[in-house]
Amino acid sequence: MVVLQAGLCPGLTEEMLQLLRANGIRTVVDFVSSDLEDVAQKCSLSYKALVAVRRVLLAQFSAFPANGADLYEELKSSTAILPTGSPSLDQLLDSGLYTGELTELMGAPGSGKTQVCLGIAASVSLGLKQHVLFLDSTGGFTASRLYQILRAQTEDEEEQARLCFVLQLEALQRVQVVRVFNIYELLGALQELRDRLSQQAVSSVGPLKVVLLDSVSAVIYPVLGGRQSEGLALMMQLSRELKTLAREFSLAVVVTNQVTRDSSTGQLKPALGRSWSFVPSTRVLLESREANWERASTQRAASLAKSPRQPAGIQVELDIG
Amino acid sequence: MEMGEGWDEPSSFLNRTGKRNIQRWKGKTASCPASECPVGTAGVGTQVGRERRQPGHHRTRQEQQPLGGHIGGSHPAALPGGECPLQPLPRAHGHPRPRRIRSPRLERPRRAGTAPTRGNGSAHVQRRHPPEIGISREEALEALQVVRQECHGDAARTAGGSGATRKCTALELLEEEQAQGFIITFCSALDNILGGGVQLTKITEICGAPGVGKTQLCMQLAVDVQIPECFGGVAGEAVFIDTEGSFMVDRVVDIAAACVQHCHLIAEAQQEEDHRKALETFSLENILSHIYYFRCRDYTELLAQVYLLPEFLSEHSKVRLVVIDGIAFPFRHDFEDLSLRTRLLNGLAQQLIIIANDHKSAVVLTNQMTTRIGQSQSTLVPALGESWGHAATVRLIFHWDNSQRLATLYKSPSQKESTVAYHITSHGFRDVQPPAVTHSAEGTELNPRKRPRTEEEKQQ
Repeated sequence: MVVLQAGLCPGLTEEMLQLLRANGIRTVVDFVSSDLEDVAQKCSLSYKALVAVRRVLLAQFSAFPANGADLYEELKSSTAILPTGSPSLDQLLDSGLYTGELTELMGAPGSGKTQVCLGIAASVSLGLKQHVLFLDSTGGFTASRLYQILRAQTEDEEEQARLCFVLQLEALQRVQVVRVFNIYELLGALQELRDRLSQQAVSSVGPLKVVLLDSVSAVIYPVLGGRQSEGLALMMQLSRELKTLAREFSLAVVVTNQVTRDSSTGQLKPALGRSWSFVPSTRVLLESREANWERASTQRAASLAKSPRQPAGIQVELDIG
Repeated sequence: MEMGEGWDEPSSFLNRTGKRNIQRWKGKTASCPASECPVGTAGVGTQVGRERRQPGHHRTRQEQQPLGGHIGGSHPAALPGGECPLQPLPRAHGHPRPRRIRSPRLERPRRAGTAPTRGNGSAHVQRRHPPEIGISREEALEALQVVRQECHGDAARTAGGSGATRKCTALELLEEEQAQGFIITFCSALDNILGGGVQLTKITEICGAPGVGKTQLCMQLAVDVQIPECFGGVAGEAVFIDTEGSFMVDRVVDIAAACVQHCHLIAEAQQEEDHRKALETFSLENILSHIYYFRCRDYTELLAQVYLLPEFLSEHSKVRLVVIDGIAFPFRHDFEDLSLRTRLLNGLAQQLIIIANDHKSAVVLTNQMTTRIGQSQSTLVPALGESWGHAATVRLIFHWDNSQRLATLYKSPSQKESTVAYHITSHGFRDVQPPAVTHSAEGTELNPRKRPRTEEEKQQ
């Protein structure tokens, strides 16, 4: 909330400010939403002056509409499509992860969400040489598995062992891992990231392209529901932070979510409810081919549950091994 | 470039952004020299937070504030109310044309490195509203950073490296992981599929039907965590939280005695100095005195115990294993409100992860099985619901296959799913085919608590 101050706009003088404050109008929002005739009478100020000030304030503090053509140009120049490391998943997502958007991976335990996230981190860090931020809230990040994936990817391409090793080390250094185990730490970490990116402190962060959050439901579940009313608000604040990050800094944000069982129909549905379902623009459901755990394999099926570009319901096979 | 009327000339503004300005509120085609300007009427604002290069005559002005603010006062001139279709306010006659606000901040040249770059989108400094405490945004950000570092420093000093210092690169994590030990289970096949044993800093969950050996494994691990480092252990202590009352001390004595004997055999075979020294402290009494046992009778006590555990662990910093035997039991009976249960379990899971991470210990939980009735058949699945399945990082499911006990690794971040067989002997948890050298091969003996099965009777 911006407090009204002298010099905020041309017509706003100290005396005017005093009078307004005496009548309980302290912030820009108060001023703009109040009835000016009323205010003019109570504060004995000129109506026209108030109207002019209000116009100026509105113009200063409101958002502006944009032209579709401009938006399109802008999108073309600022959006990138990042490969996920798995060609079938790329095909599902219409050639990869789009920056500026939030993508969600959901699945039952053991369905491979963390593996896909590690694969994305490896491919972006190794292939595109961009930095990756991994926010781990479940303790599931295993650096040795990431190293294994990197090894598998470099050995395909390079012949020399030493060159491979150097590439792998560099790729590992570009992945930054932050462990956040509750919602407040997570929000703090995201804000710190935003401050750092806006200050353009190049040394530590580098050209960041992907932020992976594994998983969002682990931090939200303990505060959601029951008599606590702030759970939903925190969830929405988190979603706003993530989307702002994605939009402002052209990042691709990937989030993993759990599935729960619907009590009435017995079917699996994504966790966190309807409010969260509007947040990601793309949702991918990962499931295991086998019905029960007695027959194990590394094959998974990924289906598209929600997408702005592709028809929902497409399914591909994925190998997380 | 020309500007329409009512536009107070912002030359420094232009230089700063290098952009041309667009007529916002004017929006008449007359102001736009090109007659075929599709931009035309008003409403062509600028996308917040984006840099634009418009070809030709479109005049754009750079916006900065993504959440509804904007560079203080640099445009207000364009408000000749009556002509703008967007704002039907009467023109303020006699009102002097508002001047563009010049605030000292705006004149400051951009810092190097904060210039907007194309590929990255809107990576420029966002100027928000005029500062209320009189400092600029950069100064505020720097102050925040200093405060954060101070807080991190304090937290690190008081809580021994916990809290906010959890940021590192994957390379550092890899080095840490490779230096970390595992807690072996004495069943080499199981150790293999786990990648070396039970991992520290992770939560491992063991699910199984009654009598399949979950508590046996927990007791084995409570002894194995104390194996000295020269024998391949982590030399830590154990915390055992029991909710079902299934902890039998005499069984632990058997297991510990077998373990000590095993180590003696290794020491004799290898004859090294540090082995002998370590064996002096690795005795039965020592092992038993380093297992801290807590008995919790219902879920409130369990939650209280877990939330008080960090303090206990900071006093006993050598603890490397926390076992909760029977996490399902207090939550399965007598709980009407299922959403409360989910919330409590999730909070518990997060607390356990924090404990595992901050104190570098392994957390092992045991869970029961329940039947899920499907359309055509019913399957045994771990209890406590779907959301609990996400709490554990590693999940092992123990089951029977015609009197052979099998262990399946169902969920792991770094290992593939696989199944192995194991045995429970009087010495504890063992392989089915024990390897030759130092393991003494025993026949399968009865687990005293279990009713004998026919094959085991024959082998007696």
